[in-house]
Amino acid sequence: MNSLQYGWRNLWRNTRRTGITLAAVCLSTAILMASYGLMDGLMQHAVSNATNLVVGEVQVHAQGYLADHSIYKALNEPDLILEAAKQKNVAAAPRRYGYGLVAVGTKSAGARFWGVEPASERATFDLAQHLQEGRFLSETARRGVVLGQKLARSLQAQIGSEIVVVVQAADGSLGNDLYTVTGILKAAGDSIDRNAALIHAEDFVELFVSGDRIHEVALNSRGMVPLDKLTELLSIAAPEEEIKSWRQLMPEVSDMVNLFDAFIWIFGLIFLLAAGMGVMNTMLMATYERIREFGILKALGATPWGIIRDVAAEALVLAALGTVLGTILGLAGSYYLQQVGLDLSIFAGTYSVGGVAFNPIWRATISPKMVLIPAVLMLIIGVVASLYPAALAARLDPVKAIHRP
Amino acid sequence: MKSAYLSVLFLVMVLSHSPVRAQEQPLTPRQILDKVDDLFRSKSSRGIATMTVTTTHWKRSLSLEMWSKGKEKSLFRILAPKKEKGTATLRSGNDIWNYLPKVKRVIKLPSSMMAASWMGSHFTNDDLVKESRMADDYTFKITFSGEMEGQEIVEVTCYPKPDAAVVWGKVLVRALRQEYLPLSIKYYDEDLRLARTMTFSQVSQLGGRLLPAVVTMVPEDKPEESTVIHYQKLDFDIDLKDDFFSLRTLQK
Repeated sequence: MNSLQYGWRNLWRNTRRTGITLAAVCLSTAILMASYGLMDGLMQHAVSNATNLVVGEVQVHAQGYLADHSIYKALNEPDLILEAAKQKNVAAAPRRYGYGLVAVGTKSAGARFWGVEPASERATFDLAQHLQEGRFLSETARRGVVLGQKLARSLQAQIGSEIVVVVQAADGSLGNDLYTVTGILKAAGDSIDRNAALIHAEDFVELFVSGDRIHEVALNSRGMVPLDKLTELLSIAAPEEEIKSWRQLMPEVSDMVNLFDAFIWIFGLIFLLAAGMGVMNTMLMATYERIREFGILKALGATPWGIIRDVAAEALVLAALGTVLGTILGLAGSYYLQQVGLDLSIFAGTYSVGGVAFNPIWRATISPKMVLIPAVLMLIIGVVASLYPAALAARLDPVKAIHRP
Repeated sequence: MKSAYLSVLFLVMVLSHSPVRAQEQPLTPRQILDKVDDLFRSKSSRGIATMTVTTTHWKRSLSLEMWSKGKEKSLFRILAPKKEKGTATLRSGNDIWNYLPKVKRVIKLPSSMMAASWMGSHFTNDDLVKESRMADDYTFKITFSGEMEGQEIVEVTCYPKPDAAVVWGKVLVRALRQEYLPLSIKYYDEDLRLARTMTFSQVSQLGGRLLPAVVTMVPEDKPEESTVIHYQKLDFDIDLKDDFFSLRTLQK
């Protein structure tokens, strides 16, 4: 009879104790997996929201544009960038930017105008669906404008409101016109919320007399092309321009992702520790209960290593069983959290942290690493936790142990 | 974005209405600036000027007509070019309204736009509003009096009062000692670095007074850029009612 079979049999000598420990290991594993899935989900949600919404994975600007946002610092060859993206099947959106004044009735505010091509934006980003009210810009230029949430609120603008726009055009003249609000964005990060006014590229060119100036090309492969491959592609297509990945464009999101990673490890360790204590407690009790038995075993010639092996094997069987059950439970929970998610809308509507908008439904992600890491760690900690009671049993004096009441 | 030119015009009106007669007794610095200020405050004026803005990207000229009354009210209207014709700006106290004939709308300038340039010139909206309060916000000291570059000049340095909400760390005004005609105004930022220089030239008869007809503003960080205002015509003490400076006049 080997140690594992021996451990298996020993476990069922006290079903209640084993059941409690099994439940502890099982639940710890499940909670660990589900919380890992939730944290990972939040992190991926943050990243994909940040990139898919409007920023993209990589952006190209003229050198120095990001420093002063000057309307005169346009890309030299935007067509080459768009062509390169197209060849690799990466969606890309060219954008024009300018600053000006928007007014509705007696309310007025400064705004950053985005001259966008609605078809490209729809194909590349989620912004066109990210509306609180109304609709995104139509494919043809019709003097429509989509406003950021806070900008619309401070202007008290509604769908259909007529807004006056006044800008300093690129030729120095005063550009002004009437636009109609067609849509209001959901929270999309603070700077967009406060000052974005999206208009059709053709309207933009007319308003700003900006000619063929394009200030930004944002590329978004939705994770299909690795970041370094994208950057490499662009550095060949546009060697003289400034190429930035989302990690550089949104350092706060990048930091947040790194922070989440650290959180996951810290929480994981706490759960592991708690579960490990549970296993150790059970093993200790099981050892004390069988002190006389260990004494007899030793008196019969069992070696200390043999006893350690038996106790550790028992713990391994227990931990393995608990982990398997926990994995099943954890996967089921994660699946539920992935499909249904946690509805946080009673606490907050769409909210934004560090300039990144979050959906109030918090969903988990399921990945091999979120199953494997907790399972393997749980097995290890189960066995490690049994080593102390095993060592106690191994060092027993057989005579004293046999005479223990 | 459109207020800069207003302030220039306003400032010029304030500072350039010096008496033609020579001053015999030395005046205190406050009196020197007040003289200029008082003249403007008690009168009304009407004028026509050309503003030429040169930047690294474009150069353009605007023809303007303007009216003012007292310290608080002024109105400017663009006569040319065609694209901006009829665009008008009304300033009353600290408020600025713009009328846009293309869309036939009046908009009030939000306070967040006060630091923005007017019509792409090198003046800001704030220039317009704040000059009228110069005497309240600054302390004055004569820092030079005598001959400089062949002219008898007087130099008054203005420092902001500790609690004054002003953008400049120091303002240095130079004027001819004889007629108190302004020569230049240098604006220094809070770190006392020169930010921009306004110079006055081409002294000529305007509206029965001897005044500099050309005002040039040059930003220190872009010396190749400039805004030049050239007065073609100025009339003083004309009959202007207070309700001339209304939103209704603005839209005419």
